[in-house]
Formats: sequence, C-alpha cells, structure tokens
Amino acid sequence: MARIEQVEPGMTLIVRKRDWLFIIGVSIVSVVCLLALIGPYIGPYDPTLTTPRVAYPPPSLTEIPGQLIGWISGTLEYPPHWMGTDASGYDIFSRVIAAPRTDLAIALAANALSLVLGVFLGLVAGYYRNWATELMMRVSDVMQSFPVFISAMVLVALAGRSTTNIVIALAFVYVPIYIRLTRAEVLSQKSRGFVEAARALGNCELNIALRHVLPNSMTPALIQSSVTIGFAILLTAGLSFVGAGVRPPTPEWGLMISTGANQIILGEWWPSVFPGIAISLTVFGFAVLGNALERRYEEGQ
Amino acid sequence: MSLLQVRNLQVTYRSETAVSRPVDGVNFTINPREVVGLVGDAGSGKSTTALALLGLARNPGKITGGEVIFDGRDLLKLSEDQARAIRGRDIGIIVQNPRSALNPMLRVGKQIRLAYRAHNDATEAHARKQAVEMLRMVGINDPERRVEAFAHELSGGMAQRALIAMALSSKPKLLIADEPTSGLDVTIQAQFLDQMWTTVQDTGSAILLVTQELGVIANYCDRVLVLHDGRIVEDAPVREFFANPQHPYSQDVLRLFHERGGDFPAQTTAGKGFLRTEALTKHFPLRNSTKVVQAVDKVSLSIGRAEAVGLVGESGSGKTTVGRCLMRLVDVTSGKIIFDGTDIAGLSPAEMRKVRARMQIVFQDPYDSLNPRWSIADILGEPLRIHAPGDAKTHRDKAASALKLVDLDPALLDRKPRGLGASTLQRVNIARALILDPQFVVLDEPTSVLAPRARNGLVALLARLQAELGISFLFISHDLTTVRYLCQRVAVMYLGQIVEEGTVEQVFSTPMHPYSRALLLAHLFPDPTKRRVDYPVPAALQGEIPSPIDVPKGCYLASRCPHVTDACRAAPQSLQPLADGRQVRCMRVLNHEIPPDSV
Amino acid sequence: MLLRYVTKRVLIGILQLFGLTIAVFFLIRLLPADPVSRLVGLNSSEAAYAQAAAQLGLDKPVLEQLAIYLGLMPSVEPGLLQGSLGVSWVTNSQVLSEVGAYLPVTLELITLAFILAMLVAIPVGMLGALNPGGRADKGVFLYSLFAGSQPEFWWGLLFVYVFYYQLGVAPPPLGRLSPMTSSPDMVTGFMLIDTLIAGSFSKFVEAFHHLMLPVITLAFILSGPIIKMVRQNMLRALQSDFVLYANCIGLPKKRVARYALRAAMAPSMTLIGILYGFMLSGAVLVESVFSLGGIGQYAIRSVLAFDYPAIQGVVLVITGISLIVYLALDLIHAAIDPRIAN
Repeated sequence: MARIEQVEPGMTLIVRKRDWLFIIGVSIVSVVCLLALIGPYIGPYDPTLTTPRVAYPPPSLTEIPGQLIGWISGTLEYPPHWMGTDASGYDIFSRVIAAPRTDLAIALAANALSLVLGVFLGLVAGYYRNWATELMMRVSDVMQSFPVFISAMVLVALAGRSTTNIVIALAFVYVPIYIRLTRAEVLSQKSRGFVEAARALGNCELNIALRHVLPNSMTPALIQSSVTIGFAILLTAGLSFVGAGVRPPTPEWGLMISTGANQIILGEWWPSVFPGIAISLTVFGFAVLGNALERRYEEGQ
Repeated sequence: MSLLQVRNLQVTYRSETAVSRPVDGVNFTINPREVVGLVGDAGSGKSTTALALLGLARNPGKITGGEVIFDGRDLLKLSEDQARAIRGRDIGIIVQNPRSALNPMLRVGKQIRLAYRAHNDATEAHARKQAVEMLRMVGINDPERRVEAFAHELSGGMAQRALIAMALSSKPKLLIADEPTSGLDVTIQAQFLDQMWTTVQDTGSAILLVTQELGVIANYCDRVLVLHDGRIVEDAPVREFFANPQHPYSQDVLRLFHERGGDFPAQTTAGKGFLRTEALTKHFPLRNSTKVVQAVDKVSLSIGRAEAVGLVGESGSGKTTVGRCLMRLVDVTSGKIIFDGTDIAGLSPAEMRKVRARMQIVFQDPYDSLNPRWSIADILGEPLRIHAPGDAKTHRDKAASALKLVDLDPALLDRKPRGLGASTLQRVNIARALILDPQFVVLDEPTSVLAPRARNGLVALLARLQAELGISFLFISHDLTTVRYLCQRVAVMYLGQIVEEGTVEQVFSTPMHPYSRALLLAHLFPDPTKRRVDYPVPAALQGEIPSPIDVPKGCYLASRCPHVTDACRAAPQSLQPLADGRQVRCMRVLNHEIPPDSV
Repeated sequence: MLLRYVTKRVLIGILQLFGLTIAVFFLIRLLPADPVSRLVGLNSSEAAYAQAAAQLGLDKPVLEQLAIYLGLMPSVEPGLLQGSLGVSWVTNSQVLSEVGAYLPVTLELITLAFILAMLVAIPVGMLGALNPGGRADKGVFLYSLFAGSQPEFWWGLLFVYVFYYQLGVAPPPLGRLSPMTSSPDMVTGFMLIDTLIAGSFSKFVEAFHHLMLPVITLAFILSGPIIKMVRQNMLRALQSDFVLYANCIGLPKKRVARYALRAAMAPSMTLIGILYGFMLSGAVLVESVFSLGGIGQYAIRSVLAFDYPAIQGVVLVITGISLIVYLALDLIHAAIDPRIAN
C-alpha cells in the first residue's frame, strides 16, 4: 500500500510499503511467547499425563469438521487428539503447545545471561586494552572454537540434567559471540567524535563509557539476540534428542521428536512430525525477526 | 559542431522506501577542447549526471529518459557492446575516491594494462611498457616501482594520477572529472589540476569538471553550468558567471565573494598572550619500535584576548595535533601551555576539569561529534550538567538561548541529530562550545565538510560571534580564503613546526617563507580574470612531504625548496623575527637572500 | 609479507591448541560428576572405590594427572608428547585409534555435504545478487533464512519417512552399509574410497546409497547460511566503487564479472571455514538418526559414560581440526585479497 509523503520538484517521493518480513517475524514470535505463558493450560489434555489411547493417529482431513462439531457441542466421548498420541499415550497436541514454556524459557534465560555477561565483558575488553583483556580475548577465542554441540553436551551431562544447567551450558556457548560483537562495536565507537567531545567537556571516563559508548555499542548484540534465541531452541532440542537435555516427561520438542523417532520407521509419523513443524516455524520466525531488525538498523545508519 | 549534447536527461533512484529523481530534465552541450565546469550543492546530482553521460547509473538508479548525443550517436540507445567500446576510449572518467575506484586485489600496473588492452590492440609486453610510460606522463616518480603497487599502498594524490593515466591512455575526446581533488591537499591539488590540464592539451580532450569548489572553476574552466533541483539553472562563460550571476541560487553561492572586500580584519592589541604555548612538543610512540612520530615540534604560539589566530598547513603539518594538545585531549610530551597565567600542560584530569569550562573545541565532522542517540537538548545540556549543575528548566532555557545565538530554532531542542543537515549540526556544535561562555575556543577545520554555500553562512556566523562575544579563537584550517576573512594573525605550519607567523595582511600579501609562498600560490583564489591556466605558475615545490618519523637534519623543507643550499640542509632552522614584527623560520630569508616577489 | 602472516597465524594456532588442551582438562574435572561411581557402581565398598580410582589415575593430584596427560611423565603412561591420547575408560582401547576409526566417517559425511551444498548454494546466491529485490531474489533470500533455521535431525527423520518408508528409494537408516554386508578392509576410513580400493563396485554403490539421505539432509541445512553469505558478498561486490569504475572505463563484461567474483569469494572463505568447524560436531545429530557411527556418536557415548580420556580426545581432535581448517581458509583468503596480510 503506497502512501505518498513528500513531493518536491525533481526530488524525493517517499513511498511506504509494508515490511512483510518484520510482520511475519513478530507474529510468529508473539504466538510462541503467548504459548509459553498459557500453553500448558489451554490444551485439551494435561501435557504431563498419559491417556489410555496409545499411538492413535490424528484425525484425517475429512474427519476434522465432524470432530470439531462434536467437541464444541460436547457429544464426544473424549476430547479429540488433534495431533494424535504417541507410543506412551501422551496427547501430542497438548504437549506441542506446552513445550514453548520449556524451550523458550531456557532459550530466553540463556540468551539474557550470555547477553548481559557478553556485553559487559565486551565493553571492558574494548575500552581497556591491556594484557588482562587480551588474555580474556584469547580465552574467548578458544571457547569459540570448542565444538559447540559437544561442549553443551559435556556440560549438561556431567553437571546433571537440570534446566539450570542447560541454561548455563548454552550461555557458556554464546558468551564469546556477544563479547566479540560488542568489543568490535566498542572499538569502533570509542574513536567517534562525540566521545572525544565528551572528554573535551570534562566528562569522567566512567560516564563516557556508560552514557556514550555503551548505548551506541549494544545494538549489534541486541539484534543478534533474536537469532541466538532461535539457535538456543535448536540446541536445546538437539540436546534432548540425544538424551543429554531435559528429562522426560517434560514436554520439549526435541525430546518428543526423539521418542517418536522409533515409530517413524513403523510408519507412525505424527509423534515426530508435529513437534518438528513447531520447531521449524519457531526458529524460522526468530531468524526472520532478527533479519528484519538488522535491516532497520542498517537503514538507520 | 558540438562534441556532446545532453537533452532532457532523467535519472531515477528507486529503493524499497523512496523514489527520487536527482536529475530531472538536464540540458547542456560541450564543444571540442572546451573545459566546462559543473557546480551544485552536495547531493545535487552532479555525480549522477556525470555517470549518466556514460550511460551508467549507480545502483539502485536507472536512466529513465533523455538523450546523450556523443559524436552524432545517442549513447543511451546503443547496445551494451557498442557502449563499452566508447567508454574508456572516447570518453574517459576519473572519480572522487581514487583508491576505492581501483580494484584492491590487483596491482595498479595490471589494471592500467587491462584498461589499455581493452581498447587498443596491443601485446602484453607493449602494454606493460605503456603502463610505465603513462605513469611517468602523469608525473609519478619512479613509475617502474609504482606499477607493482596495490591501491592501498598509494597516497590519494598518486592514486588519482593513476586513474588519470588510465582515463587518458586512449586519448579520449572527452574527459569527465568528477570531484577529482576532494580530499587532496592544497599543494597537491594544484599540482594535480595543472598536470591534468597539461596532459589534456596533448590529447586534445574536452573536460567536464564536476566540483563544488569555486576556486577550481574560476581557474580552470571556460564555461560554467549550475545544477540545482535536478536542472541546469545557469549556463554562462566563466567571467560572466562570477561577475553577474543570473539565477538566485548562483547569486546565493557567490554572495560571500562579492561581499568580502579586500579588507583584512582589524588587529587587536589588548590582552596579548592570553593563551600561549612555549616549545610545545608532541611525539607519538610507534609500536614495535623506538622511533617516534614527531607530530608537533617546539611550537610557540600566542593568542590574545578576543583575537582570532589562524593555524594553516596541509595534512601532516601537525596543526590538528596542536589543537588537541591545547585542549589536553592528548598529553604533551614537553613544553608549556599557559592559559591566563596558569600552565595547564601538567594538570591532573580533576584540575583540568575546572579549566575546561573556560576553553572549548569545535570539531571538524558535525555528524561524528554529536551522539546520534541523544536529543539536542541533552547534547547542549551535557556541559551544563558537568560545570553548572542546576535544575532542568534552567538548563533548557540556556540551551534554547545557545541555539538562538547560532541562528537556530529552539524547536530543534527535542530533535535528534538524525536527518539534520551538516551546517545545522555544525551550528549545534558551536552552540555546545559556547554555552558555558568560554574565553577561548579552538575551531578544528569547522567548515571543511561543508559545501561552499553552507560554508559562507558559517563563516559569517563565526565573524559575528567573535565581534559580539570577544572570545579568543584558534582557527585551524587549510582554507586560506576563510582564514583571511576571519583571523587577525596567522601561523603557517609544516611538518610540526611553525615556519612563518605574522598578521594576516603580512603573511597573505607578502609571504616570506618558501613554503608559505608555495601554499599561497597553490591556493586557488576564485578570480576568473587571473586564471591559473592563463598565467601559469612554475611548480614551486617538488615531491612530497617527508615522513614525520625520520625528520630531516637541517631545514625540513630542504628536499622540496627551490632555494635550497647546502647550508640549509646542514643546519636546523629556527624561528626568528623580521623587521615588521613577524617571524620566519628560514635563514636565507632572514639574510635577505630571497627576493620577496620571487616564487 | 605473506610468509610473516602465515608463521604468525600458525604459531598462534599452536598456542591456542595448547591452551585448549589445558582448558578442556581442567573444565572436565571441575564439573561435579563422579566417573568412578559410574564405573564401579553407586553402592560399592570403599576399597573397590579406591581401587577403581587408582585404576583411572584419579587418585593422583590434579597437576600430576595433567603432567601425565601431556606426556611429561612417559614412564607412568604415554601422553600427548608421545602421541597418545590416553586410554578409554569404557573400552580400554587407545582413544587415538578409536577416534581414528570414527573420525573419517564424519569427515566423509560433512565433506560430501559441503561439496553438494556449495555446488547448489553458490550459484543460487549469485543469482539472487544479480537481481536484487526481484522475485527470484526474494525467494532465494527467504529460502536461505528458512534452511538455516531448521532442526537437521528432524529433517533427517522426515527424509527417512518419505524416501524410505513411503517411496522405498532409500535404504533403512541402519548404518553406512546394510547390516548384512561385510565392510571392506578399512584403509583410509572413508567408506566410498575403501570400497573402491577393495575393488568392490557393488559395495561402493551400496555405501553411496546409504550416504545419500544424510548428505542431502546436511547439505540442506548448510545451504541456508552459504546462500545468505554468497548473496550478500556478491551484492556488495557488484555495488562496489571499483566494479562501477571498471564498467566506466569500458572493461569487457567478463572481466568485470571476474572482478566481482573474486571480491565476493574472499570473505566467504572465512565463513565456510567456520561452518566446517561447526559441522564437525554439528553432524552428530544426523549421524545419530542414520546410525552412521561417526565421531559425534562416539562423543555422545563418551559423555554419557563419563569417559574422561575419550571426551578430552574428541574435543581436542575436533577443535584441532577446526583450527587447521580456519587457518587454511584464512590463508586462502589472504592469498586472494592482498590487503589482509598487511
């Protein structure tokens, strides 16, 4: 939809179009966040309890309208299993919408932790260049070349499979990225004119670092957050898939795919496919959002 | 029979959020061997027009209308191959940023060879020889070595010459020069333009010289085109243009030149030595070496109350470093800085903070020196918060008055720097410097980023402020015209030393030191009645400035001075007074061995 | 100039590897896990516990353990300096030989996946850059975002379901060869090469057949970031000043295209290196799905069994290879772009 804002002779006509990427990204992320809050409560079944109906397939396309009507009018014997049940009898739909609470919570916490730590350390490393910060950068480099998945696995498996440990393990993996991003930005912002101007006015260094340099250096890290959260979800799912992540029966997409993997060869596709679609869309949403934010930032430069 | 005829040229830029048409119905003609200047504000579409003459447009632009008739054929209607044949062979072009126009991954020689062989049937061996010859022709010393260099290893001036070599290698009928000297030093600029002019006499090319600098137009062009709002609004022979501009825009641009008479600013006598330096020296250590970069070498400067002193020189002269030393943005290596009786060179940061309320600085780049995330009110409030704490209302009122002082609308207080023009931002910079009522202000090239029209406005503002507020100014600049207008006294710097110092009238009318003479000669004063090309000036200085890491033993100018003797090379020169009160750092001048009116 | 850059990077690399060894060693021991109980059982007697601890070498002070590991005390046990990565606590065989058996499986998988991904992604990325903002470009861009954010283990499963279960064109995900087939003598460890060396064409085809789905799965995931990066770099190159100038001076189209290509490829090298390093461990999930028996699965087994020497060995080897790959690609980058070495 074009909206004309300014017309001058020979010069600029400003036309605003919808930023589809941004809209898609925000929508998906909002839905996931919403599910993280209310997901476990709105499903037809309790996500942590089994039902007597084991390995039931989801209703076929022709059955759906009938099931819907029956459910709304309350004539059904039991609430429909929209996505079927798995080999233990869990209702897949309820678990799929309950999983964001686990996945997103872990991803958000890990990201927040590594963001705060990484930005702080990056600021220090960029501002003060002495042997201590150089050493820290070398250590950070080494941490970055650790095989990501295996380090996370090692940390979680050896320290115990609790949610806190997963969060710490993920944060450990992501901190070097934030340090590097922030430090690079700090190095470039440090030599900007307004920093020197602030010094010429008589500001103390602490004030300059916190009020001038930091706010101008945080943006790349913040934009990266969106993508990092998405990858954290993938990583959590992957860890759970190999048995080094959350414990059953916590609803978690990776875990669900893992338990459903054995059934795929038998032709029972639904326990693995639906959680997979959920992860696929969620991480895609975060990636799209991150990209849209990045483009807005670059346009502003 | 005209060489190039442009009719109704139109170029449109279409991005995802905006559509603009910087070139909207441009018409002009160029005749063989003519030198035509194209002026206009920054961003007015001059470069877009220049590129469009080749049938090209920078992404995301497209040529959407018009004709470019070159040698009888419309370039815009030719096939891609036909157009490529003309580009580089019949029409050559040199652009604004020479180092980024060269491929960073290939050696310069190879690029010249490729350009040559694209349009001439030649063997690789012949092309190699040609490349070396072409570099020699454009005045590059040691072309055999330079031919193997990469783009990032060349200086700006040398890279620009390499581009000229490429552009003129096939003797084109038209040379388009798009802001070829922006970013080059004054003396290099003059050298380069003289060289371009001479080479073009050999090849018989016409030139379209795109520039913002009226000095360049006045001295090299036969005719002037003015581009404004997407169209050519004036097309006149150069003398007529300067004497009698027709279009209101042209009149605006030329206003300051007409208003400024020949008068030099009046001298002040009160409060001599309000701020002075004694043997100020600054060395920068080099990594992995015991050597140092000698940026400032025993500079002794004196600025009186309410006096404006200019500090001129080219890049590498150390003038910017002097400014930063005065403001204690860098620590001095040795020497004193005496401000109102106190030596501030050794003060601790806490003690210095108290002094800072009385001395301020205005930086060169207005976009860079204001925090893009802060509102103007916050920016102006920062000095108040540090030195004159008070309530928000008082601060806001003071900020509003500061804005009014620099002719800006106080409504700007709540805006952020984004989207404001360079000259507005620079005025905010000045407002910030003045808000604490300082006694001394350093202005570090405040107008160099501005287009000439904006420059005029800012210079007028500075003159008024100085008269009204009685502040002492140190005006660091390479723009001699502005220094002549604003300052009472001036010091000329070369390689970290002051080589001449006196009143503006003395130094500008009768420069004594060979470097000052060369600088003034190289400066292109916008007077079309005395064009440089009509009264050619012999090249005053050879070569380039020595490295500040290995400074010469004797006179620093020895390697380039036309009056050099062995005595000059042996003994370091010192600054000595002349009869009329100025100081010169040249033994031969002091001994009256160089006549005042020779080069 | 280049030589100095190379030597500097190699030296730094060696230092990093050294730092890494020590870091891994300590990090593992800092974690609150108890491998001895794992080995001996939770309800063992004190004597049995002490004996097991001594057997694993855990009764010695930490610094001594480090010295032994590094090979500074070869009389007790050979260490790194002697070329030994220790002995697995689970299988009792040399970690080095175990890693040597499992690593080529992963290398074969990811190298093939990379080749396939680059063959597809590089041209597609370039296609997008040639017409920025166009329909094809938008599609390419969306695809790259999508592919780069997918869970590869799930796609592996999906492919198994579609191509094995439904369509029957792929073999069951039970390893590199069918469980019935005997594997040829392992010379290089790369199944495709070894079957050819052994002269058995039918086994070669079978190995190829079994690698198809895992390679496609990984290549799909890799194509996302590679397309995104190639497109971005190509766009930047095409819009750069020197490409514009090359057009201005009338260089032939092919020459200008080569200019742009070289400028686009140089920064891409570094990213490909990073991706390769990432994939060394990232392939573990695909390996699990298809039961290929690669280094990732070895890592999982070792982690879950608290097998310290094996864990250390895996991390060390993988990181070492990553560093080598980064170095190699950075060197290629420096060779293409002469600005880097300065």
